Formats: sequence, structure tokens, C-alpha cells
Amino acid sequence: MTKIRRLAGAGVLALTIALVAMACSSNSSTSGASGGGFEGAALTGAGATFPDPIYEQWFKDFQQVESGAKINYQAIGSGGGVDAFTTQTVDFGASDAPLQADEIKALPAPYIELPTVLGGVVIAYNVSGLDSGLKLDGDTVSKILLGDIKNWNDQSIAALNPGVSLPNTPISVVHRSDESGTTFVYTSWLSSQSKDWDTKVGADKAVQWPTGTGGDGNDGVAAAIGQTDGSIGYLSFDFAVSANLGIADIKADDGSYITPSIDSISKAGGGLTFPIKPTTNILNSSATGAYPIATTTYLLLYKDGTDVNKTQTIFDFVTWALTKGQATVQQLNYSPLPSDIASQGLTSLSAMTVNGQPLTASAAVTG
Amino acid sequence: MSAAAGTVSLGPVRGIRRAKDTGFTVFLWTCAVLALVPLTWIAFYVVSKGIGALSWNFFTKEPAGPLNPQEGGIVQSFVGTGLIVGLATVIAVPLGILSGIYLAEYGKGRTASAIRLVAYVLLSTPSIVAGAFIWALVVVALGNFSALAGGLSLVVLMWPIVAIASEAVLRLVPQELREGALALGLPRWKAIVRVVMPTAGAGLLTAVMLAVARALGETAPVLLTALGNDYINTDIRAPTDAVPLRVYDYARTPVEALHGFAWGGALVLLAAVLFLAISTRVLSNRQQKRIA
Amino acid sequence: MSDQTVVLGAGAPARVRRSRLIDRGFRGTTLVVGLGLIALLALMLVELTTGAWRTFDAFGLHFFVGTSWNPVSGREDFGALPFIFGSLVTSGVAIVIGVPIAVGLALLLNQVRGSIANPLTVFVDILAAIPSVVYGLWALFVLKPIFDSSVEPFLIGTLGKVPLIGALFRGKAQGPDLFTAGVILAIMILPIVTAVSREVIAVVPRDLREAALALGATRYESVRLAVLPYARSGIVGASMLGLGRALGETIAVSLVVGNTPRIGWSLMQPGATIPSWIASSFREATSVGLHRSALLALAVTLVIVAFFLAVLSRLLVRRTAELVSGPSADEVLTEGIYPRAG
Repeated sequence: MTKIRRLAGAGVLALTIALVAMACSSNSSTSGASGGGFEGAALTGAGATFPDPIYEQWFKDFQQVESGAKINYQAIGSGGGVDAFTTQTVDFGASDAPLQADEIKALPAPYIELPTVLGGVVIAYNVSGLDSGLKLDGDTVSKILLGDIKNWNDQSIAALNPGVSLPNTPISVVHRSDESGTTFVYTSWLSSQSKDWDTKVGADKAVQWPTGTGGDGNDGVAAAIGQTDGSIGYLSFDFAVSANLGIADIKADDGSYITPSIDSISKAGGGLTFPIKPTTNILNSSATGAYPIATTTYLLLYKDGTDVNKTQTIFDFVTWALTKGQATVQQLNYSPLPSDIASQGLTSLSAMTVNGQPLTASAAVTG
Repeated sequence: MSAAAGTVSLGPVRGIRRAKDTGFTVFLWTCAVLALVPLTWIAFYVVSKGIGALSWNFFTKEPAGPLNPQEGGIVQSFVGTGLIVGLATVIAVPLGILSGIYLAEYGKGRTASAIRLVAYVLLSTPSIVAGAFIWALVVVALGNFSALAGGLSLVVLMWPIVAIASEAVLRLVPQELREGALALGLPRWKAIVRVVMPTAGAGLLTAVMLAVARALGETAPVLLTALGNDYINTDIRAPTDAVPLRVYDYARTPVEALHGFAWGGALVLLAAVLFLAISTRVLSNRQQKRIA
Repeated sequence: MSDQTVVLGAGAPARVRRSRLIDRGFRGTTLVVGLGLIALLALMLVELTTGAWRTFDAFGLHFFVGTSWNPVSGREDFGALPFIFGSLVTSGVAIVIGVPIAVGLALLLNQVRGSIANPLTVFVDILAAIPSVVYGLWALFVLKPIFDSSVEPFLIGTLGKVPLIGALFRGKAQGPDLFTAGVILAIMILPIVTAVSREVIAVVPRDLREAALALGATRYESVRLAVLPYARSGIVGASMLGLGRALGETIAVSLVVGNTPRIGWSLMQPGATIPSWIASSFREATSVGLHRSALLALAVTLVIVAFFLAVLSRLLVRRTAELVSGPSADEVLTEGIYPRAG
């Protein structure tokens, strides 16, 4: 029995040493000085799932610039992000929907809200026999979501797609089960396109869906669509592309059908106005070739910081993201901000202070 | 044949009676197959899918960006699980063993019965409820998710296990040993600590292992209390990752490469938990032989 | 006791007093820690109820029978019925499928002596330790595709046509649904229901069974006459333990049930259970408004049912043990319980 005790003791000791060794080794590998500049601090953020992939990539890339900047982001949804930001349990928040009036009222301190990247909400489907590029308009989509159109070979869909042979498959609707900025954008567009939708359901981060299954996050919805033949749902553009789903061409206000692409989405970006208001959006852009359901995503920051290291890190990161970071977004199927929008974002950021002092970006970021 | 319920006509077994008997045997063996096939399938599937994901990177690197996920790993999950489960063990084991000692050595009255009932009730607490409880108590008070909250939510689950299992094990120690120790002049507490507990030693270790095995695999309470983290974290007041949590997250992501990591994590969990379960068996067999 | 003072010799009274103090202190400490368990339970119930209070205050009984769940501020409405429905349905499927198989296996393990029984028993017990997330992963990537492509279409095509129960098997086979969740729950409760049933059957005295056999009963008849009547309460108790586990399962269910608040006849449609809904909503539930409180109210609902089942199952298993005057109920329960992560 003492043998067992000894073995157990040795095992625990070995395990502890191993854990400590791992913890130390990874710490030391990231605290190596990168030329003596500001090294950055650890930050936490939470919010939207839509920009999660590009934010994750940005955080990794930014760690090469400032080695101590460990930014931990949890994609819990726009609603959760706004709440965590409000209760100050995170250093920054992220939301696909602009802050609404009651959310602004609940904030404990002055805030800065700025866009980081452009994306689109696409209508994705998984129907065997149908390729990508099915033409749909707001009215038809609303009817599908309201449960009025139940089959893929319905008249209304056929009318928009002459020459396409539609299979006799029932339509399965997939929507978000969590509160989401993507839902906000999508339902806002639906409300602008269909009076029926506007009165019956409305636009919000979470709505009472008349029909369909719920998926958790963009990933949950993508998975749900992919698993069931005949499904239709809405996703952020990057998720739809990587999930290999069919993507619909959407009718713009001028009558033409726009395929969502990095290009057509960025055409819509020019319409973003500052300062960001609860109703700010780039839906139904009048620019030619602009995708109708384009959106941007916002970062929420507090204007006056108290922790020098953290505030400097946030300032550096956002500056970097709005400048150098924009170069990588296309690889993940996001659209970069038009340069004048990015500049206006930087101007909003410049209002940030730490202990009353204004901030300047570190050399590593501007160099 | 048999008229009243619960009676059989005696005599040679033929016809319907034989058929029922054969049918019954068939039913029993079908049940065995139906029960064992999925369970073994799961075990083998996890092993075959998970083995491929285990690599040096897997155990030592933090997650890489979405453009090259296979170059990363989940080291922060292992460290996080170690931190959270370690914290929970350090708190729950002394509490559980002391409770077990009370129930086994001093527990004859109504207080003891009440404690026993409560332990049993706590044992069947759904783990998500334990998570919600600690969330309301600790996360809201501290203002953020933390490894501490994660550990405490596991304490709620581990404490009753250690208590009930230690009581059972301590009761198996023959009364003669206690009486002998007291007869030799040892005070009661020394008799317990120096004689009874060491005799039950392997059994007490078993109790701890059962609790740890449970804690290792818990996802729901950690989901609600520790939040998760992409980086190694050693600060108990900060959000921390855990292996089951990471497996759950990766199961739901559309990135194929990360599904492999999910299986890898599942394999590690399964191996750890099965190792503990088997060791528990071996130890308790040895313990029984020792006492008998 | 007077021998003690003789043995200790001179200076004995002081030492004896100190020793007694330590003794009392030790006993007191263990008592306090033991009472701590009661305090923990009380604290848990208090904390959950206070958190949930705002919801119960705002909605009253409507919370339990309302069917819509809307967390959007300004239009808040919290009705738990879809989740209660989902929990009952998935657990029901789990019990209907799992208990007969578990009891059958338990009977087999009791009948078959020797080289097969022991390893099998050990095997099933060890499998009780598999964490929920591992079951969930397998259910999502292996079970669900098989169900979607073969099992469910088959059931819809056959049982779906039968009057009455056919309503349970209508609709599209594909996608996450209550049936798949119920089946994975059935698999998950097998170890515990088998283990406790096996113990309960084992305490029935062999003499009864052997007497029946000696009188010419077949094996089936001996079980039916001499085992099941005594073991019945215990088996029901074991099933309740299984039911309690099924109701509390979170992760595995969450991955395959679809997380859609829904009430309807067909098992082939998605749904949501109380734990799966709490898990999927919790991290993003905002503190503005009643959302978090409503989720805690769901937790309270679950806890009341789980505790009720736990106490009831303990009583039933104890009843079997007392009936056959074998080992005490506590031993039977401890033997059979290998807690599993969820």
C-alpha cells in the first residue's frame, strides 16, 4: 500500500513538473524581446461570431508584431459581446449590429464604436441538383421563411429562375438559435424587402422564427445546412464559402442580381456613414454591382482607459487592424474596408485616452 | 395450462413453455449485443479517429490561426484542465474524506442520516445545475469567468462522491482493528488516522480517483464558469480552457482540421478516464483481499 | 476506559484531558465538514432560487406552461414548456429503449456464471465512466449520419404508417432530432441501469430461484416467479436513476437535438431539452433584462425534478434490499454507482 502511495505521489509530482515546464516554456517563447519596443499586454474580448475567423487570424499575426499581446476572444454572439462590454468583464466588445439606444444608455462610460471589416450575409442552401447561383429576391425569401413556400420547385422560385430545373424537395429552414448581429442584419434586410415580414416578425438580434431549426452560431447554422438536403439558411459570407454550400444571387433594388463576392461586398462599403448610429447600415446599397445584404462589424472600446499597457495594446491593435491587417482579410473571404472608411475609423480611434493622455501608435505598428 | 397468474403447471416441459424459455434466452443475449455493440463501437471509433490527431504540436502548441489550423495544438486545454481539476481536487478531497470519516466513524444518529441523504441527493445533481449555481455565486461576484469558478463547480460534484465512497470504504475496515487500537490506549482520533485510514488506504485512493475521473470529463459546468481561452492561463481568476470544453467547441466548428483535434482530445479524455476506472477496480480488489 | 489512565502513568490527567480535547476537536471537525454538505445543498438551492426569482415573479405559473421563449428586450416572454416537453420526450425514449436492454443484460449477467460474466460486468461498469462529450462527438459524427440516411427513413416508412404511434415517426428524416437524442441517452444510461439492476437482482436469495428450478420451472419461469417480483421495486429504482441521469444530460444531447424550442408529435423533428437550452444560451445571456434569470429558473425546474427522482429511486432500491434482507440499501447503491461526467 505504501508502494501505491509512492507511485501516486511520484505520478503527481511528474505531472506537476510537466505542466509547469509547459507553462514556462510557452511563456518564455513569447516574452522574447522583439527589438526592445512596446511588447503588448494580454486582453480579453467577446462578441460576434461573424468576424471570429478574421479576428483570430489578426490576433495571431499581431502577436508577431507585439509579442506580449495575447488577445483572447470568445465568440459568444453580438448580444453577449455587448453585455460583456457593458459589465466591463472584457476589454473590448464586438458586435455585428450597431449599439442600440437602450444599450448605449446602459454603458457606464463613454465609448468608441468603429468598423473593422466588411462582410455579407448570404443565403446558403444545400440542395442536391441545384448549383450555386440560384436567383432569389427579398419577397420570395420572406415567403420561404414565413412558411408560405414549402418546396424547392415552387412557382415563385421558378419564376425567378427560368431554365433551371428545380427538384421536388421540401425546404428545411435553418436559422440562428442564439442572439446574433448576423440575424439583425438579415432580418433588417428582410423587413426592408417585405411588409409581411416586417409586421409579422420584424428585425432584431433574435426573433420568433415562424419555421425551421436553430443552429448555434454561424458554425452551427453552416453545419445544420450542410447536414440536411433541401436546407436553406443565412450565413456570413466567409462561413458559406468555407462550408461549400450553394450561395444565392440576390436581387438588388435596381433589378439586377448580384452574386456575393469580396468585390460586390466592398462596393457596398462606401455607404458607411460616421458617427455610427443605431440605424447605421449598408444594406440595399445604391452603388452599381453592390451586394444588397452587406454589413460591417463593429469593435466596441471604452474611450478613457486606466491601464497603460492594456490601453496601448488595444490602440496599437486597432491601428494595425485598420491599416496592415486589411491586407489579409481577403484570404479568409472578408472584404477590406474602403480606405476612406478605414481613415475615418482611425480618426474615431484617436479620441482614445489613457489617464487623460492621448495615445500614439507604437513604432512596431506604424513602421 | 396455467390459469392463475404466477403459477405454472408442473410436468414435462414442452410446447409453449419451451418456446417462452428459448425466447427469453434469445432476448437476453440480444440485449447483451445491443448494449455492448454501441459501447465498444464508441471506444474503438474514438481511438481510431483520435490517434491521428495526437502529435507533438497537439500537446505543446496553442491553437494556430484559421488559415493553418493543423499547425497548432491544444496545450492550453491540458494546462487548464490540470489547473481546474487540480484546484477542485485539493479542495474536494479533504472535505470529502472528512465527511466520509464522520459518516463511517461517528455517524449513527439522525444527523448522519441527513448528511448521507444530502450527499446522495447532491450526487445526482445535473452537472449543468452545479455550473449555474457557481456561475450565479462566483462569476457574478468576481465579475468575470475564471478557473477558480470552474474548480468550485467541480467541487460541488466531487465532494459528495468522495464522501460517499470514503464512507463505504472505511466501513469495510473490520471493527476489530478499531477496538484493538483503542484497547492499546490510542485516542479515538489517532485510531482513525493511524490505523483505520491507512488500512483503508487503497480504498480512499479509489474514492479520490472516482471523483477525479468524473471531474476530468465534465463539460457543462466548465462551460458556464471558466469560459475557455486560446492561451495558456495560470491565473485562477482569469478565464481558462479545459479539454472537454475544447472538444465541444471543435465538434461544432465547420473547419475540418479541427474535427481531428476534437477526436484527439476525446481520445486523451477517454484514456485518462478509463485508466482511472480500471485502476479503481484493481485497487479495490486488492483492498478487499487485504481486509478479508 | 479506566485501564487507560493506568497505562499512561504519572502526569496522566493533563495528557488525558488534552487527548480528549483533540478527540473532540477531531470529531467536531468531521461533523462540521459533514454538515458542510448540507450547507452546500442549501446554498445551491438558495442561490438558484434568488437568481430565478425575478422570472417567477414576472411570469408566475405561466413560466411552466408558456410556449414561447423570446429574450429580446422589449418583447421578453419566457415559457419553459417546449424544454420540459423536449426533456420528457428524449428521456422517455431513453427509458423505453434503454431499460429493457439494461434489465435484460443485468439478468444475463446474473444467470451466466464464470469466465464470461465477470469481464462483461467489469466492462460495462468501466464504460459508465465515458464522459458525455465523447458520447456526443460520436453521436454527432457517427450515429446521426446513420440515422439520417437509413434508420429514420426506415422507421418513417414502416412504423410511420401504423395508426396512432405512426404520428411519432412522421416527417423528414434528416437533421438533428429528438429521436437521435433519445437513442444516445439510452446508450448513456445503459451502464448505470444495468449496474444497479444487476446488484438488485443479485441480492434476491438464490434459494428461491433454485427451489423453482427444482420444482421443474424453466429458467424463464424461475426468473419470472422467483426473481422479478422481488427485484421489481429495485429495478424501477434503477430506472429512475437512469431517468435522472437522462434528464440531466447536457452536452451529448446538445450536439444532436437541434436546439429548437418546439412542441409537436413527431420524434423526427428537432427540439430542445432544459439542460441543452441552458448550455447553448448561457454564455450570451445578457444581464439586462430577465434572460439570465429565466435560465436560472429553468435550472431550478430541473433540479427539483432531479432531486425528487433521486430520493424516490433511493427509497425504491432500499425497499428491494429490505424485502430480501440482504446487504443494506446503501451498499447496493454504492456498488452500482460509477458517476459519469456530463
